[in-house]
Amino acid sequence: MSGYERGGSTLAAPILMEGPAGPWLRVRESVAFFGHAVVYADWNRWLPAVAAGPELRRLLGNRDWERFNALAKPEVRHRFAVSRLLVRHAAGAALEVVPDTLEVAYKPGGRPYLRGCDQLDVSLSHTLDLVVVGLNRRGRIGVDTELAGRRLRYSEVHRQMCTVAERAMLAGLPMPEQEAELLRLWTLKEAYTKALGQGMRMGFTQFGFDADGRGPLTPDGRPASYGEWAFGTYGLDLGDSYLMSVACHDAGLGGEADTSVATMLDEGFFGQVVDLLDRRGPGR
Amino acid sequence: MRRRIEELERAFGDPCDGANPLGMAALAEADRRNELPAAGERALDAADFASEFVPVALGGRLDRADVLARVLRPVFRRDVALGFGYGITSLFAASAVWAAGTEQQRGRTARTLLGGGRLSIVHHSLAHGNAMWRGELVARRTENGYVLNGRKDAVLNAERSAGYVVYARTEPGRGPRSHSVLLLDARERPPAGLRVLPRQLTTGMRGCRFAGLELTDRHLPPDSVVGRPGDGTQLALRTFQLNRALVSSVVLGAGDTALRSAVAAVTAEGAKGPGKRQRQVLAGVFADLLWCDAMATVVLRSLHVLPDSAHLGAAAVKYLVPDLVREDLEELGTVLGASDSLRQSGLSYVHKLLRDLPAAGLGHLGTAACQAVLLPQLPGLARDSWGVAEEPPPSLFRAGPSMPPLEMGRLAVAGGTDFLAASLNGALPRLGGDAGEAGPYREVLVRLTESLIAELQLLRREFGAMPAGDRAVLARPEACALADRYAHVAAAGAVLGFWTRQDGTDPFLADPAWLVLALSRLGGRLGLKLPALPPDCVDRVFGEVVARYRSGRAYDLHAGLLAGSGGVGTGR
Repeated sequence: MSGYERGGSTLAAPILMEGPAGPWLRVRESVAFFGHAVVYADWNRWLPAVAAGPELRRLLGNRDWERFNALAKPEVRHRFAVSRLLVRHAAGAALEVVPDTLEVAYKPGGRPYLRGCDQLDVSLSHTLDLVVVGLNRRGRIGVDTELAGRRLRYSEVHRQMCTVAERAMLAGLPMPEQEAELLRLWTLKEAYTKALGQGMRMGFTQFGFDADGRGPLTPDGRPASYGEWAFGTYGLDLGDSYLMSVACHDAGLGGEADTSVATMLDEGFFGQVVDLLDRRGPGR
Repeated sequence: MRRRIEELERAFGDPCDGANPLGMAALAEADRRNELPAAGERALDAADFASEFVPVALGGRLDRADVLARVLRPVFRRDVALGFGYGITSLFAASAVWAAGTEQQRGRTARTLLGGGRLSIVHHSLAHGNAMWRGELVARRTENGYVLNGRKDAVLNAERSAGYVVYARTEPGRGPRSHSVLLLDARERPPAGLRVLPRQLTTGMRGCRFAGLELTDRHLPPDSVVGRPGDGTQLALRTFQLNRALVSSVVLGAGDTALRSAVAAVTAEGAKGPGKRQRQVLAGVFADLLWCDAMATVVLRSLHVLPDSAHLGAAAVKYLVPDLVREDLEELGTVLGASDSLRQSGLSYVHKLLRDLPAAGLGHLGTAACQAVLLPQLPGLARDSWGVAEEPPPSLFRAGPSMPPLEMGRLAVAGGTDFLAASLNGALPRLGGDAGEAGPYREVLVRLTESLIAELQLLRREFGAMPAGDRAVLARPEACALADRYAHVAAAGAVLGFWTRQDGTDPFLADPAWLVLALSRLGGRLGLKLPALPPDCVDRVFGEVVARYRSGRAYDLHAGLLAGSGGVGTGR
């Protein structure tokens, strides 16, 4: 991390993963303690793990293997493969299972999910060398990244991107700050709409954030939720500097910290069903 | 029944009318204050709504499960919290008594509900439990009854219930017979050994009153036990079948209102009209609501018609539907995202539902509880039922005037045959017959059905190779992913069974466009390679979406008249 952090006082700090060796225990701890974890990696450093072959095919699963092979540019393929490996390793750590036993599937809006394991929501983002994965056991999660130096001109995009309240906040700022704030809002909006599984199909002028990253707010700046969302923006440094925003939801069910797949089938229910089937005789 | 539904519609009035004390705006305001809408509770009192939860034989109106779901929908169309907080949880509590209570217990429970009293259910603790399911009460058997101790963190209506139906631990360990159902009268004064803890505010269903219960050496007489001691887990698995199917059906009412608000927003005067993507979203959500309704309805009827096998469908429908409705709401948010006031009120209603639905569906806990029922059975079904079992009787899909009674005590909790998988296999030959339509639709329909059957065959191979009943093997991500696939295939069986067995009197339902769209969305969720939709498919479904909006008819299989938009008059 480069030290930049806005909002996110209740969020866990992003964890750098140098390679497939982890430290994955920190992911499990973060999910247990905070309810969520955000991990990031430089995909170039993971290259040895994504050499095409039977091993990678097993790790990616059939569907993502097909997607991998359909990608033409080597760096796009490798980044894609590393992002899926990062999801599998991180989720595997939280669920206490081997990474290649998970099925990463996609909802109609494109949101990735772990088929059959809904104790954990996931989100993915990548820019250039950076790959980021968010995991949350309490509700939805969205992550989004941009190069910190990317220039977005306020005059060109504010109509499509900003609420009335945000325009009031940004309009008076001096130049470099204005662009930086605009970029921060952009990643927050992307993260929030990705958490809802909709990406850019959601109108960006319909919800907003304040200077401290609180949201979502109505277009005129009033709260549009009762505090079930937390947002944070971080600076990440991998040679290049990146901005990364997290949107983290809490559905308020107060779930137990246990996300392990091995314990999810209730012994009483399972036992009762097995008991009755056994009494019905062989063949089962 | 239609009259009962229309009376409720009239009592609640047009949800989109800003001046309606039971409209969306007023409901959102009550939600903001963490209250149930008082006017809503009064309207339900006036409609003698609690009698819907009491069997006819005991003086109530509960006769058919599928009818009950339809009568509940007008309430859930307005407010999920009101539906739960007013009463559906009284039914969830009472259903153990309907299933296994003595004559005396049944009579007393019926009198309590018919007299306006509420019942709370005090759940036992379950794997991956959330606040509502964490902790449990322990009952020790004595010479003259039971002594109840322990603390439960969150019980709905704890403060205002006339009684509690407690799933208490009566044996150590967690086995098939470790729990028993006990009745606890809350009206006894002084309330010896019973303390209701302060109310707990919740993120979802904010108006519902949850509070903890603390029991200290509370004595219960011997006739407090429902069924036999040790029957608790089995009674939960019996009665949950009704709860699961009902919840899946009633949340479709909430989806209806959200879809209606989105249609109102894009068709309003001055709106620029729906674009291609918006038509796709609106038609797609409608197709989802229809297949969900088909599946929920078939499962509700199976409680009457196939009591040996209903448990499978009940677990599958509950596994799929509440989460799917939540995703559809998120999708509708993209259509509602515009700044005029109509869209804003629709959007805040969707936001409220997005808070309420996880609480109603129980999130991961609900999923895991369904997986715990499905997974131990799928290996055996793969070997003995899939591809072998006979198709279910047509009465499952097309209800006649008479239906076997709902006998909760007769519901099996394991075994039976998989009637939804059998419906999927059985539908294919009928698609070529008189139920189908020539041209591109039939071809696409056949191809979609074939790929879903191929998916079932794949599941048959995978599960067929697994041992049944081995928790270590089945509690793995691969098995959980396959169970997820199974639930989608079962849904396809339900909707195809419904479509091929309908009587054809409703021209829209007889048209294959919505079915093709529904199966295509199901297939997409399975990651299948799908044929392209016929060119006018989305527009044919979208046309009905708009027509039903304009004539004020429900977004479900019955298309009944609703209050507002040209439907039944509000009478206000």
